[in-house]
Amino acid sequence: MATKKLTYKEATIEMEEILEQIENEELDVDELAEKVKRVSVLLKFCKEKLHKTNEQVEQILKEMEG
Amino acid sequence: MAENLTLFELNRQIKDTLAEALPGTVWVVAEISELKENRAGHCYLELVEKDDASDEIIARARATIWSYTYRMLKPYFETTTGRSFSDGLKILISTTVEFHEAYGMSLNVKDINPIYTIGDLSLKRKEILDRLHNEGVFDMNRELPLPLVPQNIAVISSATAAGYQDFVEQLEANPYGFKFYHKLFEAFMQGNEAVPSIIAALERIFEYEDFFDAVVIIRGGGAQADLSCFDDYDLAYFITQFPLPVITGIGHEKDETIVDLVAHTKMKTPTAVAEFLVAGLLRFSEHILGLQNSISQYAKDILTHEKLFIEKIASGVNVAGKLFLASKNRQLINSLYEIKSAIEGYTSQKTRQLDEIESSIRFASRSFITECGQKLSSGIQDLKYGARHQVQKGNHLLENIGFKLKNDVQNLVLKRGNKLTFWEKQIQLLDPEKTLKRGYTLTLKDGEIIKSKKSLKKGDLVETRFSDGKVESKIEKL
Repeated sequence: MATKKLTYKEATIEMEEILEQIENEELDVDELAEKVKRVSVLLKFCKEKLHKTNEQVEQILKEMEG
Repeated sequence: MAENLTLFELNRQIKDTLAEALPGTVWVVAEISELKENRAGHCYLELVEKDDASDEIIARARATIWSYTYRMLKPYFETTTGRSFSDGLKILISTTVEFHEAYGMSLNVKDINPIYTIGDLSLKRKEILDRLHNEGVFDMNRELPLPLVPQNIAVISSATAAGYQDFVEQLEANPYGFKFYHKLFEAFMQGNEAVPSIIAALERIFEYEDFFDAVVIIRGGGAQADLSCFDDYDLAYFITQFPLPVITGIGHEKDETIVDLVAHTKMKTPTAVAEFLVAGLLRFSEHILGLQNSISQYAKDILTHEKLFIEKIASGVNVAGKLFLASKNRQLINSLYEIKSAIEGYTSQKTRQLDEIESSIRFASRSFITECGQKLSSGIQDLKYGARHQVQKGNHLLENIGFKLKNDVQNLVLKRGNKLTFWEKQIQLLDPEKTLKRGYTLTLKDGEIIKSKKSLKKGDLVETRFSDGKVESKIEKL
C-alpha cells in the first residue's frame, strides 16, 4: 500500500471527506489541525501532478509503439 | 428455322431486341460492388443486387460512367451525400442498356440520384443503430466514467492531418499550464483501410489501457470528406466495447456518424476536443481550489469559534467562580454568625456561672478573711503581750550580765597584767643575744642552725655566730 500511488480521485475523495467532517463539526481542534495539514499535502500532490512534467510518464510514452 | 445463326448474328439480334425493348434510359437501383477509375477518367463499375434475406447476389451487371459524365456526377454525388463515390453504396442511376456484340451487356450511366443513396444510408444507419441498441452495447462506452482528470490521452489520427496538429497545439498551449501526456496511434482516417486501421490502433491502445485516461479520434478538416468508415458497424461495435472513454473530433457539420453516437463524448472538431480536455482539468483544478478555500475558511471559522467558546467558558468560569465565592462567603458569614451567637450564648452562660462562682468565692473568702483577720488580731495581741514580757525579761537578764561581765573583765585584766610582767622577764632571760654574750655560740650551715654533729661532714663550710659577729670555718675533722 505504501508504494501505491495516490490518484486524483483518492486525493479528492479524501479532501471531500475532510471537508464534510469539518462541515459536520466532527473534528476537534487537534484533529482539525492534522486534517488541514493532510489537505495541504493532497493539494500539493494534485497541483504538482496537474502542472509538472513527470519524466517517468514521458518515458513510458516514448517506449510505446505508435 | 433449320438455318444456324452465327454468334455475332445472335448477339446482333439480342442487341436489337434490347434496344427495342429498353429504348432510352431507365432508372435502376443497384449496389456498387466494384469501382475502378482508369487514367482517362472513365469509371467502370460492377453492380449487384443482393437478396435482402440471404445477402446472396441475385443479379449482376457491368456499368460504365464515361469520363465526361463522371467528372460532373462524382462531385455532385459526394457533396450531396457526404460520401465518396465508392463500392458498398446503393445508388439510383439513370442508365441506358447497351449490348455490344463483342463485350456483352453493359449499362451506360447517364445520371445519378444521390437522394436515394442518402435515404439508403440513413436506412442502413438506422439498421446499424437498431442493431447496436438491440445488442445492448450502444451506451456502453458512453456509460464509462470519464476520469476525473483526463490527462493521459491516446490519439488516433493521421500524423499529417491538420486537425491533429491543431489538437496538439491547443492542448499544449493551454493557458492554465496543465500538463498533458498524449500519444499518437496512427491510422487511416478514410477509405477502405480506415475501419481496420482504426480498430488496429484501438487494439494497440488497449495494451496500455491502464496508462491512458481516454482515447481521442480526430481527423483533419478537409472540405469534403468521406466519413463512411465512421458509420461502420464493426468500428462502432468495437468502440462500444472499448474500456476507455472515446472522444471524437471527426470534424464535420452533417449528421453525427454512428461512431460519434456510440462514443463517450462527441466534439465537432479536434480543437474542440482539446478544449474539452483542458476544461476537464480546469474543472478539477477549480474543484480542489474550492475545497481548499472551503476547508481553510471552515478551519478559520472553527478556530475563531473555538477561541470565542474558550473565552466564553473562561468568563463563565469567572462568573461561576464569583457566584460560588459569593455563596461560600454568605455561608461563611452565616456560620460566623452562628458561631458568634453560640459563643455568645456559651460565654454569657459561662459568665453567669463565673459570676456565681465568683460571688460564692467572694462570700466564702470574705468570711474566711474575716475569720483569719480575727485570728490574726488575737494572735497579734498575744504576740504583743508575749513579746513585751520577753523583752522586759531579756532586759533584766542583760543588765545582770552587763554587771557580771564588767567585774569579770576587770579581774581578768588585773590577773593577766601580772602574768605578762613575769613572762617578759622570762623572755629576757631566754634571748639568744644574752646567751651569746654569756659565751655561747651558734653554728649555722647554709643559714640553718646546726643542732647535731650528724648534720655535718668533712669539708662543709660552717658559720659561727658570736655576740659581736661571725666567722666562717671549714670542717677538717669529725
